Amino acid sequence: MKTVGRGEDTPTYQYPKESCLAEVSCTHCNLVFDESVMIKEYHDSQTLYFCCKGCQGVYHLLGDEGLGTSFYDKLGDTTLQPASQNISSDLEKFDLEGFQNKYIKSNEDGLNEINLIIEGIHCSACVWLNEKVLHKTDGVIEASINYTNNKAKVVWDPDEVKLSHIIETVRSIGYNAYPYDPSLQEERANKSKKEYYSRILVAVFGTMNIMWIAIAHYAGYFTGMQQNFKDILNVAEFILATPVLFYSGWIFFRGAYFGFKNHIVNMDTLVASGALSAYIYSIYAMTTQRGEVYFDSVVMIITFVLVGKYLEVLSKKHAVDTLDSIMGSTPTEVTTLKEGIKSLVSIENIQIGDLIELKPGEKVVIDGVVSTGQGSFDESSLTGENEPVYKQEGAAILSGSICLDSVIHYNASKDVSGSLLTSIVSLLEESITKKPHIEQLANKISGYFSNIILLISLLTFTGWYVFNGNFETALIVGISVIVIACPCALGLATPMATLVGISIAAKRGILFKEATFLETMAKSKVLAVDKTGTITEGKPSVVHAELYDDFDPALLLALVSTSNHPISKGLENYLKQEYDSLATIELENIKSIEAKGIEAAFKGKKLLGGNASLLQERGITVDATSENSLFFFTLEEKVVARFELTDTIREGAKEAIANIQSLGIKVLMLTGDHEQSAQKVAKEVGITEVHAKLLPQEKSALIKNFQDKGQIVVMVGDGINDAIALAQSNIAIAMGQGADVAISVSDVVLLDEKPGSIFEAYKLSRRTFSAVKENLSFSLLYNVIAVPLAVAGFVNPLVAALSMSLSSLVVVGNSMRIKMIKFKES
Amino acid sequence: MSENIVILMIGVSTFLGALGLIALLWGVKTGQFDDQSKFIDAARFDGVEELRDAAMMESKKKEQKEKREKRKEKEKSYSPPD
Repeated sequence: MKTVGRGEDTPTYQYPKESCLAEVSCTHCNLVFDESVMIKEYHDSQTLYFCCKGCQGVYHLLGDEGLGTSFYDKLGDTTLQPASQNISSDLEKFDLEGFQNKYIKSNEDGLNEINLIIEGIHCSACVWLNEKVLHKTDGVIEASINYTNNKAKVVWDPDEVKLSHIIETVRSIGYNAYPYDPSLQEERANKSKKEYYSRILVAVFGTMNIMWIAIAHYAGYFTGMQQNFKDILNVAEFILATPVLFYSGWIFFRGAYFGFKNHIVNMDTLVASGALSAYIYSIYAMTTQRGEVYFDSVVMIITFVLVGKYLEVLSKKHAVDTLDSIMGSTPTEVTTLKEGIKSLVSIENIQIGDLIELKPGEKVVIDGVVSTGQGSFDESSLTGENEPVYKQEGAAILSGSICLDSVIHYNASKDVSGSLLTSIVSLLEESITKKPHIEQLANKISGYFSNIILLISLLTFTGWYVFNGNFETALIVGISVIVIACPCALGLATPMATLVGISIAAKRGILFKEATFLETMAKSKVLAVDKTGTITEGKPSVVHAELYDDFDPALLLALVSTSNHPISKGLENYLKQEYDSLATIELENIKSIEAKGIEAAFKGKKLLGGNASLLQERGITVDATSENSLFFFTLEEKVVARFELTDTIREGAKEAIANIQSLGIKVLMLTGDHEQSAQKVAKEVGITEVHAKLLPQEKSALIKNFQDKGQIVVMVGDGINDAIALAQSNIAIAMGQGADVAISVSDVVLLDEKPGSIFEAYKLSRRTFSAVKENLSFSLLYNVIAVPLAVAGFVNPLVAALSMSLSSLVVVGNSMRIKMIKFKES
Repeated sequence: MSENIVILMIGVSTFLGALGLIALLWGVKTGQFDDQSKFIDAARFDGVEELRDAAMMESKKKEQKEKREKRKEKEKSYSPPD
């Protein structure tokens, strides 16, 4: 036996005692299995258990390298994926030239650089181990792994080590690595995130310091302060406010400038002009020693609005991360057959008509038509349906689907760029960056508003100058108009209301990623929903069972648990629910029959489970009339059980749709499933408009159609197949258990997955929007009163302070009223 | 209380704060906060070994650079026999 580098010095890791537990955890991956199936190894009076050869290999490797102790200490109780054994398959592709041109960059020092996604990282110990092992590899100059998104950057010297060796190293410790293209998009997203972060740091620093100086200022205002002390405080505030305004606030000046160039007055214009005029006025007040300075309001406006913008940038970056992992997991080469010779060819070089071989488990990257062979395909990423599709000669296969069980030869009918998968990813990339934005009410109003205020203050200045003749007084009055009109109530009107709205939503399991989405959703009149996984559970469950004599649930459980087919999974769940603690039975000669069922033997008796056509093939006559999926279980060619399974509709779907329709919203269903089953579900929940058999981009096109007609569309979905449509819609709602991509392109996530939450989200967003409108009209009213006073020259600091805080209080109080909203109890 | 003391107090405290801010900005710029979870874990795991590891990588980088330069020099000084 090999020596293990891990001896007495591992007191923190305790193994479960054999005597009291039949189940033990694997020493490497911590997954718990029955003791009898584990690989046992005795070492230094300890028994080590391994669930597979892969785990055993990794454990010894780490021990030999002297990394074992600290890795397992750091790992604690976290479970890992069992290590894979085939570490050397397809390694040669990493040294192919086509691959290198696509993913590897060489920097100015002559070193190579690649970005990898490391698969199988579960905890910080995994990150530590991977970095450590890579650091120890000769020729690797730099290796850093990001724990949050599992992305790694590796720099190495191509003269000393090959990329294939680096990948092999990662695989040898039980992880996998595949490259991705850090397109400009990600780099840009990263850079803007850092930039925002620095700007926020400066802004927060400036604001906090100005705040405590301002406290001294206010105290001095009410109790009296000598002018010379006031000057010191003014200068200190000035020094702190300057970098905040010009460094942190640069984004608003830039936005205002672009707005100006395109003749648009936006929120940036208001923030920039408000802050700048208050700043100039304060400098004037400081140098002439007349009046009060407003540096504190300058920095506060900048800081608060900046933080809001930063949150937006964050959510965008997340979407980019998940996109990379879809593209990264697709193969870069396919096996082609030319005159009987097999060869690996880069997918870019595939031409229409080439013969391609598909092995079980492989993902299709190029569309084509089957020429020989037959098998089932998992098309769930295209249609959202979990049931595998059976394909034989002449059938079209689409990229993005996965070949499940057999070797198939097919002719390419498109090249890589024309294939479905590539076009889906590029469409998705496009729609993330070009998502249509509905202009927010506050923006629209503030646009007009700032124009009017600027005009009024200009008129005030000229008026005072002409009639009073004093330039200085005219300037102060003119600027005071801007200062008093600008910020508080109007700026708070929207954020305050949406903040309350969002927090109520979050309490009910509805997560809005951005506050502005509440407003957009409130304006929407069209709701598009996906079928599978959104209205329905997304997985078949038993609705009817007929059991005859000799039915042994334990046998059936053993049979169906050998298959990953959704029908088998549904039966497995049903059996586990109905019967307590079924015995584990070992079956022999297990054979799955493509897309039809499973066959096995138990103590010489023949077991068969599958659909009606399988049984008829075997000469067993059964009643096959049902609108649901059927599953028969036979023992020695005698039917002992008959199950009907169907995808059940989620609880409360019907009421929710009726409620939504009663709000005056048009509900339509978009699905990749076929017409018949779509109509059936639609009828049951009360949806009249159904679009069936849609491919992902067709869903998106339908939504675009509605948008072109001026509608604001809300889309609810859960799968990869919905992702483009979600990205295209104005508001995308994803189910909490849905695919990562769907969640990351979405604006709203429903954690509890209840259809009723869609209705609640609608109701809440409408209530919030009405509060926003009330707040805006109040703050406009406030300005109608306050601005004329300022124009008349009555505004002294006391009046300004009082009226500003009062108006803010009214806005806050009104927003709190949203909390009293009642959802119909159903 | 004289004006100078107020100036000194505000000046010194702001300056100290600014030093901290500059250090933070430097950290952001050099990518030390790119990965939040790793950043937090560093506090749990960092030890002598990690320090040694970092030093090893530094020296590896240096060695590699030297090697490169030598190679370059060789290429430069190499003159084909005529």
